Amino acid sequence: MRRPEATRLVAGGALLLLVLVAPAFLSLPQTSIVTTALCIGIVALGLDVLVGATGQLSIAHAAFYGVGCFTALGLGTHGVPWPLAFAGAAVMTAAVAVVVGLPSLRIRGLQVAIASLAFQLFAQQVPNKWDGIKFVGETFERPGWLEDETSFYYLAVGCVLLVLAVLARLRRTWPGRSLVAVRDVEARAAAFGVSTGRTKLLAYGISGAIAGLGGALFALQQTSVSDTQPFILRESLILVAIVVVGGARSPVGILAAALLTKALPGLLGTDFDVPGLGPASQVVPAMLAGLLLLAVVMQPQGIGGVLRDLERAASGRRERPVPRPQPTDAVVAAARARALRDVPRPLVQRLPTPSLLVARAVSVRYGGVIALQDLDLEVRRSEIVGLIGANGAGKSTFFNAVSGLAPTTGTIRYRGTDLLGLPASGRSARGVARTFQDMGLVRGDTVRENVLLAQTWLASYPAVGGLLALGGALGTERELRRRADQALELFGLQHLADERLGDLPYGTMRIAEIASAVASGPDLLLLDEASAGLTPEEAHALGDRFRALRDELGLTLMVIEHHVPLVARTCDWCYCLESGVLIAAGTPAEVTAQPRVVESFLGRGSLEEVAT
Amino acid sequence: MLGEVVVGLAIGSAYSLLAVAVVLIYSSTRVLSLAIGEVGAFSLYGALWAHTHGIAGWRPSVLVAGLLAVLGGGALGLLVERVVMRRLVGRPALDGLVATLAVALFLALLELAMYGIDPFAAPSPVGHGNVDVLGSTLTAPQLALLALAGGVALGLWLFLTRTRFGLATRATTSDPTVARLLGVKVNRVYVFAWGVGGLLAGAAAALLAPVQGSLTPFSLTTALLSALAGAVIGGLDSLGGAILGSLAVGVVTGVVGSRVDPTTSAGVVFLAVLATLLVRPQGFFGSARATA
Amino acid sequence: MTVHPLLEVRDLCSGYGGLQVLFGVSLTVGEGEVVAVMGSNGAGKTTTLRAVTGLLRVTGGSVLLDGRDVTGTPPERLVDRGVVMVPEGRGMLRDLTVSENLALGAYTVRDRAAVAEALDQAFTTFPILHERRDQKAGTLSGGQQQMLALGRALMASPRLLLVDEASLGLSPVMTERAFALVAQVNRASGVAVLLVEQNVLALDLAHRAYVLEKGQVVAEAAGAEVRTMQGELRAAYLGVTA
Repeated sequence: MRRPEATRLVAGGALLLLVLVAPAFLSLPQTSIVTTALCIGIVALGLDVLVGATGQLSIAHAAFYGVGCFTALGLGTHGVPWPLAFAGAAVMTAAVAVVVGLPSLRIRGLQVAIASLAFQLFAQQVPNKWDGIKFVGETFERPGWLEDETSFYYLAVGCVLLVLAVLARLRRTWPGRSLVAVRDVEARAAAFGVSTGRTKLLAYGISGAIAGLGGALFALQQTSVSDTQPFILRESLILVAIVVVGGARSPVGILAAALLTKALPGLLGTDFDVPGLGPASQVVPAMLAGLLLLAVVMQPQGIGGVLRDLERAASGRRERPVPRPQPTDAVVAAARARALRDVPRPLVQRLPTPSLLVARAVSVRYGGVIALQDLDLEVRRSEIVGLIGANGAGKSTFFNAVSGLAPTTGTIRYRGTDLLGLPASGRSARGVARTFQDMGLVRGDTVRENVLLAQTWLASYPAVGGLLALGGALGTERELRRRADQALELFGLQHLADERLGDLPYGTMRIAEIASAVASGPDLLLLDEASAGLTPEEAHALGDRFRALRDELGLTLMVIEHHVPLVARTCDWCYCLESGVLIAAGTPAEVTAQPRVVESFLGRGSLEEVAT
Repeated sequence: MLGEVVVGLAIGSAYSLLAVAVVLIYSSTRVLSLAIGEVGAFSLYGALWAHTHGIAGWRPSVLVAGLLAVLGGGALGLLVERVVMRRLVGRPALDGLVATLAVALFLALLELAMYGIDPFAAPSPVGHGNVDVLGSTLTAPQLALLALAGGVALGLWLFLTRTRFGLATRATTSDPTVARLLGVKVNRVYVFAWGVGGLLAGAAAALLAPVQGSLTPFSLTTALLSALAGAVIGGLDSLGGAILGSLAVGVVTGVVGSRVDPTTSAGVVFLAVLATLLVRPQGFFGSARATA
Repeated sequence: MTVHPLLEVRDLCSGYGGLQVLFGVSLTVGEGEVVAVMGSNGAGKTTTLRAVTGLLRVTGGSVLLDGRDVTGTPPERLVDRGVVMVPEGRGMLRDLTVSENLALGAYTVRDRAAVAEALDQAFTTFPILHERRDQKAGTLSGGQQQMLALGRALMASPRLLLVDEASLGLSPVMTERAFALVAQVNRASGVAVLLVEQNVLALDLAHRAYVLEKGQVVAEAAGAEVRTMQGELRAAYLGVTA
């Protein structure tokens, strides 16, 4: 367990203790007030799944609360036993939430919040039409052992603990990792096998289910509901406030904020007056909104962020100083390049191994801009193929075409299958893995978590199974962890497995990214400017690594590189692009000797030749 | 039925004033302002209170109170920009959205504390005249809304296409960093957006409240939601689209609301928003960049 | 009395968020000079320009214009002082027309007559812009956008142009044209240019040059030495001699 979690456990433990012993100090009506606050707390935890995990905002969670409540009432007043009614409420609310969340499939942004607002407006009016409906006015029978307010209170606490356990499981399973990937590196996540659409809908489903559970609990507590006040727009806004003030991704903070907002005014009594301001029931929510403003403006992470900052200070972790890079002498670098060129190249013909990747007439257009035009190229098994060209030539665009992250025409056949017919998230399952020019991993996660993320396509257990810690899921997770540790050992990173990726030196981050790609078990590895930002010594070592990956792991590599001597030293074959068009193909020695290639990198002789 | 459409257009005009405010703020600052409804409402509350109870012995007439609401809205908009929004420049758009949400909540709860939960009487600032149009009766506030929406649309179009500052606003909308590199003081554009947005919200509040009969906390935010729905359908970065979208929402709400019931019309609006976001997420007149 | 260089950057340190990119960059640009800053990806070239122009927070060192400290001055105010940047990717306002883009270049110029004259001048220097003056800037080709970016930057008659990777995404022929235009503009109007580039060809028009690597200046050359530097960079890049 990492050290920082200790502080969070202490705070959580203190809160838990407080909650457990509270009934001893409270009257029955007061206990009931706290129970209701816990219901809201559960809904807030559900909202946090969306906000904290995916960065989407829902302003409809009070409506979801209502959906859960009325579904449970509808079931419970018709003789369904309460655990089933609870389950039914969770499922129904999950389904509704998924529908409301459908726009998130097409856009990432603020319009999704508006869809939820529109739903909230609609949903809060629906009960007005139900005066004649049967269950309004009827009661949801509580079993005998729950009739006492104190016993019901502990049921509520139990539900809270259940939700917390499920959320903890979320972090350790592929749905949780996918949520983080979609939040932090959405455009890239498909390259790891994460299906962004499915993940977003999953987030809405889980969020809705948890909110529905809160609603069902409330229904059972009230036993009959005829008032829609808890489910109106104002309450949706207050729920957002609770999550933000409590701190996204901080369950302890959120529960504390929920209790402060919803339990405190009632506990202080309805005639309690905050001196000079007015009755507590009105002042506290207003204060909460003021705190929210302050929180967002000053400390975007809320109470949870404050806790995290305390953790950092308490664990005595000093800021690791960024190692100052050593500049190299351009003349020395030139001498080294000359020396490298003298290494004999035994292979002057192309390897006669079978084709692994064949691209024919591949074009990529972004609106009016043609990024790649009619590209034909081929990668054969066990080759290391270099892809070079000036900035903006289209090299990364080709990788994006293979990964499914760019609008592509033509054919790209991988082991016979046309990749362009597959969704982006399905391509890693075929055996293609890649890295990104600007490091496509999640900096906020640990190294090991990132390696696990890259193996998403191997995590074949269903989401619910993972959340409920069923056997198959646990076994698969163990296997994935074993593979992750193996990959890290291969690259000498095992001692950094629990370090936050973003804290590592840049060169190490890039190696970790390669390790992640390798861990997913590919046949073809696409490396995008792996040498960018590395010193010449590190780049030299990288070349050795390329060969090791080919010789020891049996991988085929395609590498985008600016470091031409590295390409000359390690690649069997080389393609050169310029402005989206292929201008040369052959061995590195042949390609780099062609005048057109030299011109592409270094320009022609001099400017005087250009007629102005 | 045509008369109902015209009444719906009048309500839609109120929505379009709010929608213009939202789009103005969104396209220049990329922040979706959920606060602008309550900004107008808070200002109107103050103005109406001054009208009924007087401040320091001065009791403005209803018309003057209406104008005070408009000006107060502008002032409050400027205050929100200065105190809250300016500190959030450069932060992700979600932070801005949450901040405006907090401002809306704060203002609404303040209204609750200051003026109570009972509906606040909202007399019309433009008198009680009536006009019969196509089978329905249009009251003076409704007529004023129609006229105002048209005037605002025209005025804004002229401003954006014919003036230097309008050009600067469009540049900021297109790319704030490049605008700065060309010497545009983008802070002034932000201030302008919030100030004008506040004025429009104050006007919308002053004319919509009499139509709805009274003023309550959150009522203007609820109206803002319809305006937002219209803006999303029309296109969040297209002023023309937002106006047309809100007018459409107003008409649908009015016609369906009176012929069936308000719940169904809210449902129709929700489905329309959902469908737009699934089929053409940037809105019918929005540019593709609006979905970023 | 000492004559100050037009622009002086002293020990500049800057970066993004927690990541430091510049570790004490120092350089100068004199009146009417073309100065090139060369470096590969990640060397800190664009970061340097953004820090000078006030888009990035400066954590150490200073920027002096005519000897006066302008460190951290936001870009919109630097335009008033005669410093204009042509950003990476050319910074087109895609939804606005060519004329509107040019007009915005003169946003800070109050005198209507001067603006009209500058517009005429731009259309004379770049006839293709006159031809397409009512078209949206987003519809222009890469080379035409480069012309618009340069023309727009010149509208306010600046004393110093900061040009960020003009060659990005352009074919070799267009790159040469772009550099030739910069040289022509410098000769005709005497505007100083700080040119940040990967393409070694830029050294053909530079009076002085620096090489940036990992956020530090590692080499400096003036006059004839610039040719030597060009040759060495070519060698280091491709392993071939010039």
